[in-house]
Amino acid sequence: MGSSDKLLEFISGRGFRKGWTAFNIIFFLSFIILPTVFILSSAVTDWSDIQEHVLSDPATMDLIISAVVVSFEIAAIVTVIDFVAGLPVAWMMARKEFRGKQFLDTLIDMPLAVPTAALGFSAAIFWAATPNPPPFSLSAISSPMLLIVLLHVVFSYPYMVRSLTAILGGIDETYETAGRTLGASRLTAVRTITLPLFRAGLVTGAILCFARSLSETGGTIIALATLYGRKMVEGDFQTGPTLIGLWKDASVADPTLVPALTFVSILLIILALVLLVVLKVAIMKVRVPLRKVWPSPEKLLSRGLFPKIKDTSAILFLLIVVIVPSFFIFTYVLTGTPSDADWNPFIDALVTSFVVASVVTAIDLATGIPMALYIAKNRTSKLSQLLDVFVNIPLIVPTAALGFSLGLFWNTVDPAAMPPIVLIILSHVAFTYPLVVRNVVGAVEGIDPAYEETARTLGAKPLQSFRRVLLPMIKGSILAGAIMAFTRSLGETGATLAVVANANTAPVFIVNLVNDQSYYLAAMACIILIIISYVFMLLLRRFTREEVV
Amino acid sequence: MPVVELKGVSKRFGKVVASSDIDLRIEDGEYVTILGPSGCGKTTLIRMIAGILEPSEGQVLIGGRDMSGIPIEERDIGYVFQNIALFPHLNMLENVSYGPIVKDMSEEDRQTIPVRYLELVNLLDRMKVFPSALSGGEQQKVALARALASGARLLLLDEPLSALDARVRMDLRYELRRITKDLGLTVLHVTHDQEEAMTVSDRIVLMRNGRIVESNTPEMMYRAPKELFTANFIGETNLLAGVVVENRDDRTLVEVRDGTVVEAQPSKFEPGDAVVISVRPERVHALEEGLNAVVRTMSFMGTYIRITAEADSEDILGFDVPVPRGRDFNIGDNVHLGWSMASALLYPRPPGGIAEAVKLE
Repeated sequence: MGSSDKLLEFISGRGFRKGWTAFNIIFFLSFIILPTVFILSSAVTDWSDIQEHVLSDPATMDLIISAVVVSFEIAAIVTVIDFVAGLPVAWMMARKEFRGKQFLDTLIDMPLAVPTAALGFSAAIFWAATPNPPPFSLSAISSPMLLIVLLHVVFSYPYMVRSLTAILGGIDETYETAGRTLGASRLTAVRTITLPLFRAGLVTGAILCFARSLSETGGTIIALATLYGRKMVEGDFQTGPTLIGLWKDASVADPTLVPALTFVSILLIILALVLLVVLKVAIMKVRVPLRKVWPSPEKLLSRGLFPKIKDTSAILFLLIVVIVPSFFIFTYVLTGTPSDADWNPFIDALVTSFVVASVVTAIDLATGIPMALYIAKNRTSKLSQLLDVFVNIPLIVPTAALGFSLGLFWNTVDPAAMPPIVLIILSHVAFTYPLVVRNVVGAVEGIDPAYEETARTLGAKPLQSFRRVLLPMIKGSILAGAIMAFTRSLGETGATLAVVANANTAPVFIVNLVNDQSYYLAAMACIILIIISYVFMLLLRRFTREEVV
Repeated sequence: MPVVELKGVSKRFGKVVASSDIDLRIEDGEYVTILGPSGCGKTTLIRMIAGILEPSEGQVLIGGRDMSGIPIEERDIGYVFQNIALFPHLNMLENVSYGPIVKDMSEEDRQTIPVRYLELVNLLDRMKVFPSALSGGEQQKVALARALASGARLLLLDEPLSALDARVRMDLRYELRRITKDLGLTVLHVTHDQEEAMTVSDRIVLMRNGRIVESNTPEMMYRAPKELFTANFIGETNLLAGVVVENRDDRTLVEVRDGTVVEAQPSKFEPGDAVVISVRPERVHALEEGLNAVVRTMSFMGTYIRITAEADSEDILGFDVPVPRGRDFNIGDNVHLGWSMASALLYPRPPGGIAEAVKLE
């Protein structure tokens, strides 16, 4: 027996596997969940400070309440718009074969390649009525609320379409056909059969969009700074996360802001969690009774011009509201006035961002995959069900609040032990980890355990059956999770700013450039960031395709 | 009223031809089965009638009306799916009520019709149950009730029994025929199971490679198949290659490969014609003289024993003997096989070989 066999024997042993699982669960609980919700304990320990500086200060309270309300309003509007505009496109992707489907598929994913900071700038110069609008821009929107809604639609739209497409593809089309053979028009069949069946997908899509919108910081700050033509101040239009960013920055000089920061973060975290539950229950429980049918109007809408109008407007929406604003920034290359600039700081920031994103992805994969396997393979155990719920928490908590909580946690543990870059990495791990776990859990659950069991009956050790049988089948999903984690980390602003006020990552660098009104430089930085992430995504995409095929 | 007519119907998927130039007429009240191996185009055909697929060429007429461009929901058909497809989010009563509701029937009909059809399939007591709580057979009965409750006079059954257990399948066959005949419906039933086709239908349409091979009553399809493919596909048969040596008025004499001359039905073949003899195992007997063969296998089949024997002509022949007589045979025994002249059918020998002509795919 060679030494590699011995190692295999050891790793396959019951003792090692138990220990490994325990280690990953402990890592998840202590490095991800605990820091994320740590701030809730401040509600108890620092209550007197909060009482003194926040609750008894009407001006601060007003700021907090209005910012939080605005955040939730925007997230709700964005989710509804995404659903209405995304459903027809998801339908086309899942149910129809047409020329250019592949192209549409790529088009939908494109905004995912653009870091939100770059998106915020790009969308803002396209839509907003700025003091010096660039050529071709609409420069029509002066309402900050509307601008932010439009911006958030851009980056949450792909999530909605992806979720809806996935679940639509999973629903047997026979149900709809059966409905039609019974005399239901296409629209009636869709409304009474397919839509009720895909609630689960709707929940996922809605939660993803809602959480993304609620969380978004970098793009929002940039868009508002562009609209105002200056750095944001306290009296401006604020969302929850921008308020955290603003106060965190100011708290370096003015520590009395910390209780207010704590309070906003707690409020955002609790409301987000409550909302997660409410949304889930609302979508799953509300039923439109079958009794209500409108055969003739629905029949009318099922045929002729209407479906064409619906599809065309959905595609136009995708192009005008999602794609063009995402890439409008490229017009800057043609029309901007080049300025002599020192690129070194940006390159430094870029390198930092890539190092962070790579390390984050590596940690996610190393600890997230075992966790996902544990959750997916022990569905009946209480612990697995609990972990499954816990994994979603960092996904729904606004990243700015998460970052602030995490910073607070590690400072409490040991302020000296954590250099800023480690804090940034830990905060990014917290909100990207669920992306890897969710993807892998989904994939593993979709695979018949009989394959692995067969491998075991043929004499494979657990590790071998995983590596040779399961791994090749879930590789695509692992890579998809990795891509999501990587690009999310690369584009993240909110958590970074909230954990370390003067961090030096590429998105933060761009935020600072826009605040200083160095638009040309900001645009160039955005373009470089977009190109790099896009190339990265294409490579990974090609890689995943080859693996899957 | 619902006479179904297909006129020159073809369907192509890219370069694949799923049905080619099909002409078929199904009379009002007739129970027709489309039978064929998987991939023969039978499902494509029924889907074109339902409107789920549009033909590439030709016309589908239901009740004399051209169906081109008419969507599924306006064809007034009942369709039962292989995978059952009861709506999982609705209970049994809601499932069966779906048709009456979406067809905007009167409130009274919406109440009474679903109950009547659930009663017809003996599942009224399960009306509040969701599909997942029922067995496959029960689910398919509800699916039938659902199709009937929509008021359709033409019922399309797309492999309705294939997903069910063998025993349930047998029971449901008779249910299907009884219910549809009681209601006087026109039925088009697609299946790959020849036994199922034989037991339920008034007429079988046998398909292969997108074309209709032959169409006749179950009895005629079994007793007097016009095509070699039919003889092999419906029931079991022994096929022997041979050459006609003499054509008499009352019989044809054929020489098989080892030189033995055997008898077959009277035919129009000329001496020297290459032919295939088809003779069913239950018609082959061990006699004093005949084709010399050696017993190779014996299988107990319940009411009879199936023996296979390798003849000197290199043909493998199956023949059945009653169980008590089966004890007279042992593996390795020499037997002489023969049959009555009337039970041996003759077909021209296909130029591509027998195996090619009866191949299922």
